[in-house]
Amino acid sequence: MAMDAERRQAELIAQFSAQAAALSSAPQLAALVLEATSHPALFAFSELLTLPALSKLAGTQYASSLDLLRLFAYGTLKDYKSNSGSLPALLPDQVRKLKQLSVLTLAESTKILPYDQLMQELDVSNVRELEDFLINECMYSGIVRGKLDQLRRCFEVQFAAGRDLTPDQLTNMIETLSDWLGTSDSLLHQIQEKIKWADTMSEVNKKHQKEFEDRVEEAKKSIKLNNLSRQTSTYGGMTTFSLNLEE
Amino acid sequence: MSAPSEAAPAVSAPAPATTAAASSGGFTFKLHPLVIVNVSDHHTRVKAQAACSGDSSSSSSAAGAGAAAGQPPRVFGCVIGVQRGRTVEIFNSFELVLDPVSGTLDRAFLEKKQELYKKVFPDFYVLGWYSTGSDVHDTDMQIHKALMDVNESPVYLLLNPTINLSQKDLPVTIYESELHVIDGSPQLIFVRSNYTIETVEAERISVDHVAHLKPSDGGSAATQLAAHLTGIHSAIKMLNSRVRVIHQYLVAMQKGDIPVDNSLLRQVSSLVRRLPAMESQKFQDDFLMEYNDTLLMTYLAMFTNCSSTMNELVEKINTSYERPTTRRGGRGAFM
Repeated sequence: MAMDAERRQAELIAQFSAQAAALSSAPQLAALVLEATSHPALFAFSELLTLPALSKLAGTQYASSLDLLRLFAYGTLKDYKSNSGSLPALLPDQVRKLKQLSVLTLAESTKILPYDQLMQELDVSNVRELEDFLINECMYSGIVRGKLDQLRRCFEVQFAAGRDLTPDQLTNMIETLSDWLGTSDSLLHQIQEKIKWADTMSEVNKKHQKEFEDRVEEAKKSIKLNNLSRQTSTYGGMTTFSLNLEE
Repeated sequence: MSAPSEAAPAVSAPAPATTAAASSGGFTFKLHPLVIVNVSDHHTRVKAQAACSGDSSSSSSAAGAGAAAGQPPRVFGCVIGVQRGRTVEIFNSFELVLDPVSGTLDRAFLEKKQELYKKVFPDFYVLGWYSTGSDVHDTDMQIHKALMDVNESPVYLLLNPTINLSQKDLPVTIYESELHVIDGSPQLIFVRSNYTIETVEAERISVDHVAHLKPSDGGSAATQLAAHLTGIHSAIKMLNSRVRVIHQYLVAMQKGDIPVDNSLLRQVSSLVRRLPAMESQKFQDDFLMEYNDTLLMTYLAMFTNCSSTMNELVEKINTSYERPTTRRGGRGAFM
């Protein structure tokens, strides 16, 4: 299911990249950036950012478009509000997209997002609006999957699509993966030890049983011999009782 | 279309009738496990019957025991299923009688069987035929052509019954027939096709059941525990190797050996975000409760065992030391 979101985006990204390669003038590129950031299904912008055509925008009056694209790739609604002076005004589509991207960023750090934090980040005032936003914009579009817990007022994220990565995030990911590998290696080792332990314990148990049985046999044999030797020394009437004991 | 005359050179020049590279037909084949089980069962039965009759009467059956001495006899049958557009889905199969002398199929039997299966499964058509062996035989093309009047492009399923422990894939190959121009004349040859295994829920359950065969008496507790742990071990090992591949890929990407693929990076980052997979207070509570319950039950069972053993011991002591007091005379030592 995760791959579907990526696949849908792959087509859009290819389309936009082709368009950007074809255009050359700054205002057209700025318009393209506007279109890309308002598109309802596109959440990945690093391909567009790395296009050489867009670096031409830097330094011109349309540099703010480039900053906007960078904001959409890596930033959240909070970043926009703190820098709103230098960035162009956003259309309602873009605001919605930025909110979705902010949810993705929040989902990166914790799995359980309290409603209060979400309301603050997304600039919504009541729970109803927040839930509507989460359900309609985030879950139905497939970028997030999770459970809404109204009693404890939090949103449990089970899956969140990835945002564009900054280079240092790559190092973090590699570290996380190597930790995961280390843990699963040690787990495998422990499982093998447990298997060996189970086998050795059953061996010990069997040996113990066998020893016990041997001793019982020995004791039985010694009693029989004792009775046979005693038979000659007891009264004649008692032979019937000693015969029974031999069972 | 000069079909009979084509059959003659095919028999006399057998070499070109066998396989070539991968097929270009564009058909997608889906195979159900039932077919594989059927074919292998058919083969095993015939092999066992040949071996059994070989033991009882050595001389007469040596002639009739099939192709070559030491080789299990080949079995033949039909595969049936559904064809929707370019997707061919093979559901079931049944056995056929092959006349060993003339090398042709028993047509009447085939028709009868087809009719019977049509009544039970009205959607299924005869899609082709199967056989066993390690490679395509030269006579197979004849049988293939004979079936062409039932289905215009039949499939040929070959099962290799020799057990090869190092082989990872199933020893089943699917061949299609294509008209290729060889040595100036168009000839039908077999070309391999890829296939995927498709299961219905009932098939999945039975295959799962067979894969987890346990010793018939249930084994001791230790063997069951070992079997269970081994299953978990192999599952985790597979996950481990896959994650290792992703890790190496990312490291190479970071060093710059591989061009950066953003879409893949995004997917990996969303995967990494899913860890830890299970982390909430409620899970901890439930998990610890279940853990404590299991420990308690083990403790209780141990207790019950000990008390019953103690009880037996006490009874034995009572029985063995009471006798001297109730018996008149008793043993010499106690008098």
